Amino acid sequence: MATSNENKKAIYSIFWIWLVITIVGVLISIKAPAWLMPTSASSTMHLVIETIVVFSVAAAPVAALVYAITLYALVKWRWRGDGVPPDGPNLRNNSTLTSVWIVSSTMLTIFLLIWGLAALAVDEGGGNGKNPMTVNVTGQQWAWSFTYPGTHVASNELYLPVNDKITFNVTSKDVVHGFWIVQMGVKVNANPGVSTSVSVTPNKIGTYDIRCTEICGLYHAYMVTRVHVLSDTAFAKWLSSQPSRA
Amino acid sequence: MRRLNFLTGIIGGVLVAALFYVIARETLDQGSRTFVDTLTTLTGVGWVIGFWLGIGAFTGVGRWFIGKDQNHDDEMYLAGKDLGRARYWKYTTDHKVVGVQYVIVTMVLLAAGGILAMALRTELITPGAHFVNPQIYNAFISVHGMVMIIALIVAVAGPWANFVVPIMVGARDMAFPRLNALSLWTLVAAIPLLLGSLCVGGLSMGWVTQAPISEQAGPGMDLFALAIITFAVSTTVAGVNTICTVLTMRTKGMTLERLPIFVWSSIIAAGLGLYAFPFFLVVMALNIVDRTTGTSFFIASGGGTGWLQENLFWLMGHPEVYVILLPAVGALLEITTVFSRKPLFSYRTAVGGMAALAGLSVLVWAHHMFTTGWAPTLGGPFMLTTELISIPTGIVFLVILGTLWRGNIWMKLPMYWVFGFVFDFLIGGVTGIYLSDIPVDNQMHGTMFVVAHFHYVFVGSVLFGAIAALCFWFPKMTGRFLDEKLGKLSFWLTFVGVQVTFLSMFVSGLRGMPRRYASYAIIFEHTNFISTIGAYIIMAGMLVLLGAIIQSWRSGEPSGPNPWSSKTLEWLVPTPVPLENFEVLPVITSDPYTYGEELVNS
Repeated sequence: MATSNENKKAIYSIFWIWLVITIVGVLISIKAPAWLMPTSASSTMHLVIETIVVFSVAAAPVAALVYAITLYALVKWRWRGDGVPPDGPNLRNNSTLTSVWIVSSTMLTIFLLIWGLAALAVDEGGGNGKNPMTVNVTGQQWAWSFTYPGTHVASNELYLPVNDKITFNVTSKDVVHGFWIVQMGVKVNANPGVSTSVSVTPNKIGTYDIRCTEICGLYHAYMVTRVHVLSDTAFAKWLSSQPSRA
Repeated sequence: MRRLNFLTGIIGGVLVAALFYVIARETLDQGSRTFVDTLTTLTGVGWVIGFWLGIGAFTGVGRWFIGKDQNHDDEMYLAGKDLGRARYWKYTTDHKVVGVQYVIVTMVLLAAGGILAMALRTELITPGAHFVNPQIYNAFISVHGMVMIIALIVAVAGPWANFVVPIMVGARDMAFPRLNALSLWTLVAAIPLLLGSLCVGGLSMGWVTQAPISEQAGPGMDLFALAIITFAVSTTVAGVNTICTVLTMRTKGMTLERLPIFVWSSIIAAGLGLYAFPFFLVVMALNIVDRTTGTSFFIASGGGTGWLQENLFWLMGHPEVYVILLPAVGALLEITTVFSRKPLFSYRTAVGGMAALAGLSVLVWAHHMFTTGWAPTLGGPFMLTTELISIPTGIVFLVILGTLWRGNIWMKLPMYWVFGFVFDFLIGGVTGIYLSDIPVDNQMHGTMFVVAHFHYVFVGSVLFGAIAALCFWFPKMTGRFLDEKLGKLSFWLTFVGVQVTFLSMFVSGLRGMPRRYASYAIIFEHTNFISTIGAYIIMAGMLVLLGAIIQSWRSGEPSGPNPWSSKTLEWLVPTPVPLENFEVLPVITSDPYTYGEELVNS
């Protein structure tokens, strides 16, 4: 039959286009996130990058299928005659295809969901750092301040020991601010009147960025500061060298 | 009463606003903390009431009330009979006039939002804040966001649910012609308030009007909120009208199963709007009440909570995305069948998919709040509902691809935008999946990645759909083709511009640039420079399109009544479409997707 022949021919060509786009897509998916995103300084951030890679790899064949069919349609099924083209075949439905499409997209969705929930469970509480430690974070227009419970130390740049599990209790003195440690993949809003918390285990010594992510007025863009992740001994030294604010 | 028009509307609006201003200034306690806000709000309310009175919105009701109801001649006059071009400047009830008016209003809104976008991108071309200061920058992002959201809500539903839907279902007009005019002119009344909010200043809060920053904002916030309340009234009126028209005014034989897909998308979107926009109205009304009377719904120090504001806002904010998207998708599907010369693939699945999008969209709002700290235990459920949305979104692609499959694809101008939509919507959709995942969202929320994602959806997909609809129905509206050459030039500029602007904006976001920053770290310099160049290319594309529209409207090639050989009813009536559309109402015997049936039968 002419009909099934034409379908076969199209499917054969589309398969090869699909394969090429998929391979390119998968390669980009594996390489690009780590290349484009900031250095990872916590297991949470590592998980974020890993998730982006996995989702991209999962999405690549689907996106490739859509692009392969549109590309083929543009070239092969384009009407090149004059005037209104004649009618195409009266294909109103194909219940097998529709079912396969819906079932496979549902399965893909379930996979993404399970991955997401598993990632949340693995990272519950922000990694498996050794000694739990709390830092109080206060946002105000337009600066961050940090206090370290159990000490009398306050600072405008954040200092943290490496490989310890840090819990931030975040609040605000005026409007809503967004507390984000860029290289650690943690973010929580600073709301006036309530305290929100988020945890992370920094796993790399270095200096990283804190940026405000909720619009908070005139100098929102300037509400940035730094976080210094130090070795245990360096952190203890820094803590003891600070003047007491009390 | 017959002399009332747009000009008398403006005069009425200004007079009543001035009256309200004077009364408020004289009677209110000028020393009060809320004085300026109350004064601004009352003046704005005066403008809307005066505009309504001045343009004659309540003339019909008023005459009915005093027992002098309008006669047939009055109704014909109101519908714009024998008025020529003057009818476009009046409170005209003919749905085709309202459709044309919506096209103009949409273009005005897009131009205003576009100019603001260019100012923002120009500011971001260098790391420091040089072009506009941070205060103006914040005001511009607030108004750019809201103007564009309103523009896109009306971009397809406004012109085409008014102009073509009544003809598509075989009706002589909308169910409530006067309400139709009311929805249009109420929208017009909202525009000066929204743009005026820039002039009175103090907009520091972004379009989401998050509390308590919105409580801190200056008097511009009052006009901003009032504009949205006015707009919510307009869309509610329009939505009720569309739904009632389709449910009650269909001609004989036009069963629900034979409705063109664009009609389905219009009523699903209108119904979703009826659910969503009351939240919009309430959140803005509570904000105004907080600001003018000293209540504290959203102020933590007074016992309120900003989380309430965020919940109400996103209860509107996410369904609204689909109110915007669905009519565009419906129009694109309509175009795809006509230009592939094939039936719509899997009609029922398409309707079901759109209904599922609408249904799911009311259950996902808290994914905008993953990082707010509100109810962390609800993260999992909202991640589930959000990811489920990718299933009906996949159906949209299935229907488009299935319709293209083995068609005879006629690459006229509207079809270019359809292919552009497929390309962009896939990118917008896939990047949405990353954001639905909580750990990734914790990193990406509030960054340029999110901005790039929803611009791929709004510009790359919805705006493309709106332009496709304009190119497609332009011959029916004006009797002339939209210039193909200029139109294609505009397509290529816009398409390339969107990729350049927003792909590099994804990179800015991945590298850690937060949104709404007037000034940024040096590492974001290159990607922002590229984005700004891309934005200028989009602007060039839009200017070419504007030129094409003006030129074609005045002197384009005449098209005849059915240039695309389409089978939906709007193409089977004469062009220009006569008042009341049909001499004899048609009787429908099949759906409009009978392409290729002769081939099967022979």
